[in-house]
Amino acid sequence: MSTEALIRKQNRDGGWPYVAGGSWTEPTVLAILALESAGETAPAERGVAWLRSLVRSDGGWPPRREVDQSSWVTALVTLLGPEQIGAAAHRRAIAWLLDTTGEETTVLFRFREWLLGNDTPVSDPRFPAWPWLPGTAAWVGPTSIAILALDKENRRQPAAAIRRRIDAGRQFLLSRACDEGGWNHGAPAPLGYPAPPYPETTGMALAALRGIQAPQVDRGLTAAERFLAECRSADALNWLRFGLRVHGRLPAGYCTPSGVIYRTVPETSLDLVMTAAEQGNDRIWG
Amino acid sequence: MSAGGVLLAGCKNGGSPAAPAAPPRVSIVRAPAYDQSLYDTMRRILASHGLDVRGRSVVLKPNLVEYEAATSINTHPLVVHAAYEAFMAAGAASVRIAEGPGHRRNTLDLAEAAGYFQVIPKFEDLFVDLNLDDVTRVRPKGRFSRISKLYLPNTVLGAGLLVSMPKMKTHHLVGATLSMKNLFGTVPGGVYGWPKNALHWAGINECVADLQTIYPRKFAIVDGIVGMEGNGPIQGVPKPVGLVVTGEDPVAVDATCCRIMRIDPFQIGYLGLAAADISEIAEQGIVQTGESIASVATPFALIPLFKGLRMA
Repeated sequence: MSTEALIRKQNRDGGWPYVAGGSWTEPTVLAILALESAGETAPAERGVAWLRSLVRSDGGWPPRREVDQSSWVTALVTLLGPEQIGAAAHRRAIAWLLDTTGEETTVLFRFREWLLGNDTPVSDPRFPAWPWLPGTAAWVGPTSIAILALDKENRRQPAAAIRRRIDAGRQFLLSRACDEGGWNHGAPAPLGYPAPPYPETTGMALAALRGIQAPQVDRGLTAAERFLAECRSADALNWLRFGLRVHGRLPAGYCTPSGVIYRTVPETSLDLVMTAAEQGNDRIWG
Repeated sequence: MSAGGVLLAGCKNGGSPAAPAAPPRVSIVRAPAYDQSLYDTMRRILASHGLDVRGRSVVLKPNLVEYEAATSINTHPLVVHAAYEAFMAAGAASVRIAEGPGHRRNTLDLAEAAGYFQVIPKFEDLFVDLNLDDVTRVRPKGRFSRISKLYLPNTVLGAGLLVSMPKMKTHHLVGATLSMKNLFGTVPGGVYGWPKNALHWAGINECVADLQTIYPRKFAIVDGIVGMEGNGPIQGVPKPVGLVVTGEDPVAVDATCCRIMRIDPFQIGYLGLAAADISEIAEQGIVQTGESIASVATPFALIPLFKGLRMA
């Protein structure tokens, strides 16, 4: 899908669907980033206007207008920066991210587990991370996106509270690394049975662990390089490129293999964003 | 219907006993392999159930989870295509294939790895990714879980008939995953994430039961040709069974599958919650056609946590 096709996919309300139909927050944010990296500001501005109309009273964003709950997509929206979504809205979104943790590390849940005699914590409470939806557990995907968002904000306006959440989130990711290298969406060994890593979540986690040196990162990079050579999923390749590039491990002049099909707005958008970043125009880090 | 059920129904009707509901009907058909004979098998199965789908929109909901081609994780595409052809031949106005995988976001890549593009002509035109579909808010009627509302895909909400097409597998959290648990794939990841952890927090058994109350027009086709035993639904091992199990009552279908797997259906939490009456689960309350359970039952290996589910 080209930039022109991406523009044609824009809904009348200014947002984008995942493939067809109504507008969703995630594809809209990614389409905006992609079109801005291509210099297409008019459709991007309409997308921003749609996003601004969606903000909820708690400062977060829902996955789409009809859903009356803020979710992980709030982190994606903050990547657009205060100049676009508005300084107050951006500030409140960052606050929402700082206030959101996986349910399993909340005081109430831990107290309840203690009352029930469950001694083994689900997650290390020192390392709260991020869920898909508040009231549920933390996972690799939303945690990685939240770290990207907070890291960008911390570089713009450093704050100790933001730094603490980034550091804790990264410790969460390191604790979730698969023994063989890489990350799947959650625990490396659910119910004691080792689970294999996924290419897309490996890429996400590596992107969030930018600048971190650790054995888990080394093994993750080795896994990512293997996935990059084998994978034909557009979504996975996008994230692998991101994760490898920020660690200086994306092969110079890398081109996605022929035959990779970009089926969704996020897949196309992220490809455009990654390509621009690899050419020095990084819309995510700024 | 049990005697107790008749009494209760009579009380609800102001003292007049209601006519007992027809017992659920489940068919067990031998299907030794994923081959061309499945097409005729599926047509005969639909005819035997007397399903009238003329003019109706049918949605087939298989189970797609992971990319591992050499395992028995995913519903086989030949079973799905055979069902597609059978429903079209039976006069359905349309037949779509729809799924919302809970672990991997790249649904079409997953379907491709599972062989769906190779086996089903124009698959991408027929397929709806339920994770990314437009949604409508619904309130579960059963309210078994604490979830008061769910945002569900319009494609399944608007289906004239929703056909759950699971694999016959053990499950490391609830014992067995069959036609009822398969409907977790109708809950969109676009709203709830990957995985749909909100359902786990609200209680898997309770959410499975709630989902049953939302979709009124259902049919189940269980791919038991090669199932999965052990640490299902992903890390188990293939279990050849050679069956397709079908029926309009998902509770009865799943209870029958459990018996085939030598799992006590009365110990499966969601079956007890969802059953309108104990007879839906009890073997004597189900009209069994085709092969007898005794002639096809084969014990599925269970992880230590679920050893207690084994039927005596």
